[in-house]
Amino acid sequence: MDRRKHAGLARVKEAFLYDWQFRAGVAGVVILLALVVAAPLLASHDPYEFGVDNLAPPGTAGHLLGTNHMGQDAYSMILYGIRTSLQVALISSLISGVLGVLIGGAAGYFGGKTDLVISELINAFLMVPTFFLIMLIVALFGNSITNVMIVIGITNWPGNAKLMRAQALSLRERTFVRGAVAMGETRLQILFKYILPNGIFPVVANTTRGMAGAILTEASLSFLGLGDPNIISWGQMIYAGKNYITTGWWVSAFAGAATILTVIIFYLLGDGLNHVLNPKYAFESRGK
Amino acid sequence: MKRYVIRRIFSAILTVFIVLTLNFIIIKAAPGDPIKSLMGKDTNDPALRAALEEKWGLNEPAYVQYGSYLINVLRGDLGTSIIYNSSVNSMIGAKAGPTVLLGLTAALAALVVGTALGIFCAQHEGGIIDGLLSAISYALDAMPSFWLGLMLMIVFATHLGLFPTSGMTDPRSSYTGFAHILDILRHMALPALTLALVSVPGYFRIAKSSVVQVSNEEFITTFRAVGMSEKKIFSKYVFRNAILPTITTFGITMAFLITGVTLIEIVFAWPGMGRLTMTAINQRDYPTLMGIYLVVAIGVSVVMIVVDVVYALFDPRIRYE
Repeated sequence: MDRRKHAGLARVKEAFLYDWQFRAGVAGVVILLALVVAAPLLASHDPYEFGVDNLAPPGTAGHLLGTNHMGQDAYSMILYGIRTSLQVALISSLISGVLGVLIGGAAGYFGGKTDLVISELINAFLMVPTFFLIMLIVALFGNSITNVMIVIGITNWPGNAKLMRAQALSLRERTFVRGAVAMGETRLQILFKYILPNGIFPVVANTTRGMAGAILTEASLSFLGLGDPNIISWGQMIYAGKNYITTGWWVSAFAGAATILTVIIFYLLGDGLNHVLNPKYAFESRGK
Repeated sequence: MKRYVIRRIFSAILTVFIVLTLNFIIIKAAPGDPIKSLMGKDTNDPALRAALEEKWGLNEPAYVQYGSYLINVLRGDLGTSIIYNSSVNSMIGAKAGPTVLLGLTAALAALVVGTALGIFCAQHEGGIIDGLLSAISYALDAMPSFWLGLMLMIVFATHLGLFPTSGMTDPRSSYTGFAHILDILRHMALPALTLALVSVPGYFRIAKSSVVQVSNEEFITTFRAVGMSEKKIFSKYVFRNAILPTITTFGITMAFLITGVTLIEIVFAWPGMGRLTMTAINQRDYPTLMGIYLVVAIGVSVVMIVVDVVYALFDPRIRYE
C-alpha cells in the first residue's frame, strides 16, 4: 500500500513536470482560490453598493472595468463572483459525483437485474435534455443558489454513473476482489472497500469537467432570469448587461470573459487529471 | 437489425415515460396550493374547496391523477396556459417552426465545418493550423453561447451594421417571395452563426480523433506498405470509417443544441420556443413550461432514435451485435 502511494505521488510529480494541461489547471485553481480569499483586499468598491456612476465605461472614476446600470463596480463584482462560481462547481459536482459513483458502482458490481434496470435508467437520463429539467425545477421550487446547486448536482449523475459502472464491471472480475469474496466479506463491504475506491478515478476526472459544466449551467439559468438575486454571479452580470448591450458592452463582456477563463481552467484540470489517473498515458512520449 | 430498432424504440418510450413521471412528481411536489390560488386569498370555505377539488380531480388519490395525466398527454393534450388561457399545444405549435429552422441550419453547418476542419487537422496533426484550431475549439467549448451571441451582436450588428440585431423578419416592410426568404436569412445569420460556432467543437474533436485513430490502424499501414495511393486510402477507407462517429455526435449533441437554441433565441429575439420559454418563466406559466419540457424531451428522443437507426444502416457492426 505504501509503495503504491509513492508511485501515485511520483506520477503526480511527473504530470506536473511534463503535462502542461495539468500544470495550468492546478495553477489556475490555486489562483482562483487566492482571488476568492483576497477579494475584499483587491476589490476597489463594495460590489453590492449602488454607486453614482451608472454605466460608466471602463477606466472612468476609478472603475477599472466600468459599472453596470445600477452603478455597481464591475471589477469588484467579478472578483466576488468567483466565489459563486467555485461554490456552484464544487457542491453540484460533489453531489453528482457521489450519486454517480454509488448508483453506477452498485449497477456494475451487483450486475443482473439491478444492472439492467439501472443501465436503462442511465441511458434514459442521458437522453433527456437536462437543462430543461433544471430550468423547470428551479422555476417551480425557487431560484436560491442552494436550490440551483442541488438541482444541477442531482441531474448530472448519469455520466458519472456510466463511467463507474464500467469500472465496477471490470473490477469485480479482478483477483483481489475475488479473493475478498473467498474470504467471506459481504457484498456491501466489497463494494465500499474495493470496488468504489479503486474505480473512482475516471469519475474524478469527469467530475472536474462537470464542474465546468455546472458553472456554464448556472450562468445559463441566470441568463433566463433564474439566478439567485441575493448573490453576485457572472451569469447575472451578463443577463443584466443584455439590455444595455449597445450602450454598455462592458457589463456583459468582462463577466463572460471571466466565465470562459474559469471554465477553461477546469477543462485543463480535468484533462490533466485524466492523464495523471490513466496509467496507460505516458507523458514524455507526447513530447514537445 | 429489427431487434436493434425495437430495442432503441423501447429505450425511447422508456425515456418519454420517465420524463412524464418526473413532470408529474415535480408538479405534485412543487410548493403552493393550486386550490388556494383558485379560491383567492381571503376565502377559506371548505365547501368551495371540496367543489373545486372535485372539479379538477384533485380529491382523487395520486395514482388516479397520475393515470389521467398520462392519458391526457398521450392523447396529445398538454394542458392550458394559465396566463393566456390558450392550449399549450397551439402555443408550442406556433413557435416550433422557427426553432427547428434555426437549430437545424446551425447543426448542419456545424457538422459540415467541424468535420471538415477535424479531418484537415488530423491529416496535419501537430502543425500550426492544427494547434490554432484546437485552441479555438477549446475556447469555444468554454463559451456561454448567449454571451458569444451578445458579442457577435455588438461587433456585426451594432458596430458594423451588417446584420439586424433581432427578430426574424423586418417589421417595417412586407416582403414576399424571394425577398422574404432573403430577409429571413439576413436575420438568421447571426443567431445561426453563434449556434454553429458553439456546436463546431463537438464535431471537430470527434472527426479529428477518429481520423487519427483509423489512420493508425494496421490495415491502413498494410495498404501503405503495398503502395496504395494516399488519396485512395483516404477516400476509400479512412474517410468512410471516420465519418461514422459524426452521425452519433449529431444525435448526442441534440440536447445541447436545443438548449443553445433556447438561449440564443432570447439574445436575438428570434420568435421561437426559446422566447416562449422565457416569457413562460417570467410569468410563472407552469403548464407551458412543462409542455415545452415534454415536447423537447420527446423531440430529442425521437431524433436520437432516428440517428441510431441511420447509424446502424451505415455501420453493420452495430446491427449484428
